[in-house]
Amino acid sequence: MALTDQGLVDAAKAIALGLGTGFGAIGPGVGVGYLIGKTIEGVSRQPEMRSDLQGMMFLGLALTEAITFYALLMSFVAFFIA
Amino acid sequence: MTRRLGFLFAALIGILALPTSALAAAETNFQPVQEFINEYWTSVTLGPLEMGISKLVVYLWLGMLVSVVLTLWIVRGGLRTQPGRTQTVVELLYTFSETNIGQSTLPKAAFARWFPYVASLFVFIWTLNMISFIPLPLDTHNPLWGPIPGLTIYAATSNLSVTLTLTVMTIGISHFEGIRANGVVAYFRSWVPPCPPALKPVLIILEVLSQVLRVISLSVRLFANMLAGHLLIIMCIGFVILLGKLFVAPIAIPIAVVFYIFEWGLVASLQAYIFAMLSGIYIGSAIEPHH
Repeated sequence: MALTDQGLVDAAKAIALGLGTGFGAIGPGVGVGYLIGKTIEGVSRQPEMRSDLQGMMFLGLALTEAITFYALLMSFVAFFIA
Repeated sequence: MTRRLGFLFAALIGILALPTSALAAAETNFQPVQEFINEYWTSVTLGPLEMGISKLVVYLWLGMLVSVVLTLWIVRGGLRTQPGRTQTVVELLYTFSETNIGQSTLPKAAFARWFPYVASLFVFIWTLNMISFIPLPLDTHNPLWGPIPGLTIYAATSNLSVTLTLTVMTIGISHFEGIRANGVVAYFRSWVPPCPPALKPVLIILEVLSQVLRVISLSVRLFANMLAGHLLIIMCIGFVILLGKLFVAPIAIPIAVVFYIFEWGLVASLQAYIFAMLSGIYIGSAIEPHH
């Protein structure tokens, strides 16, 4: 099977989708882990703060998690639109 | 009791999903992304603007109807001092948006003016997000049978035009209110925090950039969350069709159900809350810089 130009472009797009999503998930992954770890630490020190900390944790979780979707979105742009 | 209900719910979705995917396994050109393309049913053009009706417009209308008409119907004939069950739900929603979104972000002087806007943003986006996970027969691209459109899950907020419109409204209001409360020069000067004069040019560029990036981050956060959530669910069920093998279904469908519960139970409400809260923060910080 000969490698055509179009085939090369398609392959590059697929690689862009995979790499973009994968690398984009590293940072938020670290962030979410750090966030939840710190919340557990805080709750274990002051269990009466549990509900307050949980509320803030979910807020931070949604803000951090959104960064993954920026990367995913850009990968989709590379794959489907570019 | 709730756990048993949860299992029942999961099993129900699984049973519902199985025959559809088995039927669709015959179809070879299935594209999950197809669900998110805005196909116009009628074409009404107003100059360069396309004003036709599509799936997206119907979902927006539904969100409008549910959030406005349902609430008006619940509080018809005035509120009672002994609240019934439905009135309690509406009151909970109001109290939540008053204490958690309004009072924690808006300054006292602007509360009465902008709390209604922020609260309606929250209720409208929340309603759109919640109804987006109910399968509705609006998919004309893949008809179920004859003229009956297929079931689909689609969020109006998973379209960038919708979230960008809401964002531009919020950002426009924040600049307008900032100028009105502080005056033009004082408002734009308040963007840059006090610093040594040598750093000033760098900070000006950074602050202007951050103001511009607010539009992108606020709109794309909601849009990408809802798009990725729906795409994940459709993709997981779609694996059965894409691979064309039925033995994938016992693994793929439960994963789809887990994502479905996670997205409906947590992400939909959280994103509506965050959008409304950040709107409040932007408007509040424009009116009272560095408080």
